[in-house]
Amino acid sequence: MTAAGPHLFWITSRAAGIAAMMLASGSLGVGVMIRGRGESRRLLGSDVRALHEALSLATLVAIAIHGLALLGDAYLHPSPLDIAIPFTGGYRPVWTGLGILGGWGLAALGLTYYARSRIGAARWRYLHRFIPVFWALGIVHTLGAGTDAEQPWMLIAIGLPVVPALFLLLGRLFGSPEPERQAERRRPRQAPQPQLSGRRG
Amino acid sequence: MDEVRKLEAKGLARAKSRSRRRRVATIRSRTIRGSLALFAILWGVVFVQLASGNDPALSSKHRAERRTAAAPSAPTPAEPAREPAPEAEAQLEGSEFEVEEEPAPEFEQLEPEAEFEEVAPEFEETAPEIEEPIVTSSS
Repeated sequence: MTAAGPHLFWITSRAAGIAAMMLASGSLGVGVMIRGRGESRRLLGSDVRALHEALSLATLVAIAIHGLALLGDAYLHPSPLDIAIPFTGGYRPVWTGLGILGGWGLAALGLTYYARSRIGAARWRYLHRFIPVFWALGIVHTLGAGTDAEQPWMLIAIGLPVVPALFLLLGRLFGSPEPERQAERRRPRQAPQPQLSGRRG
Repeated sequence: MDEVRKLEAKGLARAKSRSRRRRVATIRSRTIRGSLALFAILWGVVFVQLASGNDPALSSKHRAERRTAAAPSAPTPAEPAREPAPEAEAQLEGSEFEVEEEPAPEFEQLEPEAEFEEVAPEFEETAPEIEEPIVTSSS
């Protein structure tokens, strides 16, 4: 038996990290379905967007807890810079650095949703496509630096949401575009009609 | 009739938007509760794993890695509060202390009492041999 008292921050960080990975995978899967084929979108209904948003925010909170809880660990005791700047920490710097990059990337690209009106919807959509890259960095970080990475329960817990999300993502990337979009592409573009505004003089 | 239809349509739209807002709020609260439950379950799993002594991080390999990671930034005089507590150190290395205590009986075997008993009579036997020639010379 080992006393868990001195390791409470560390346990919190580990649990938050695993939760973040699972929530991120869930959010990614749902996000892919938002812009996915018409059928899957219809099955899930219009509330998918709300679910995607809630899961994304929960992921960011879990990532923040994962990093901040490490500050209280009496054994590793990293500095705030160690957990914020990639590749500077003492514990497995490469794997940890990749995780920090992934975390910052998810936070930056995820939160641009609330700045869509400023940056423009098209630009936001373009940037949002890079989120899976940072999600993949999170997976690499989990498997490379994760304390429980070799534990079967951990692999099952991570694999359950990651594998379907990966399949959905691959289907989206390499699958044929949805019929509606194909039809849109075939249709000749019409010149935008001038909007009538104001009173007629 | 047109105004009645307009009012009906407005009421319908309001009801739809209200129900949508309610659904979104339900989704959000369920997601928050689910996330908290997930975190609590994972925390419990890691806690039980550690408390039962089966934690992979407290094996010798991982402990060595954690120790090397902790070493570079550890003994700075400006950060005395961030030193690991001695209790935590002792609990982390509890199994090492148990191993070190085992070779204690070896000290008892190094000091056999019988050797001293055997050496002592040799001096007593040689002593009379020296005394005898002294007696003969004086006479």
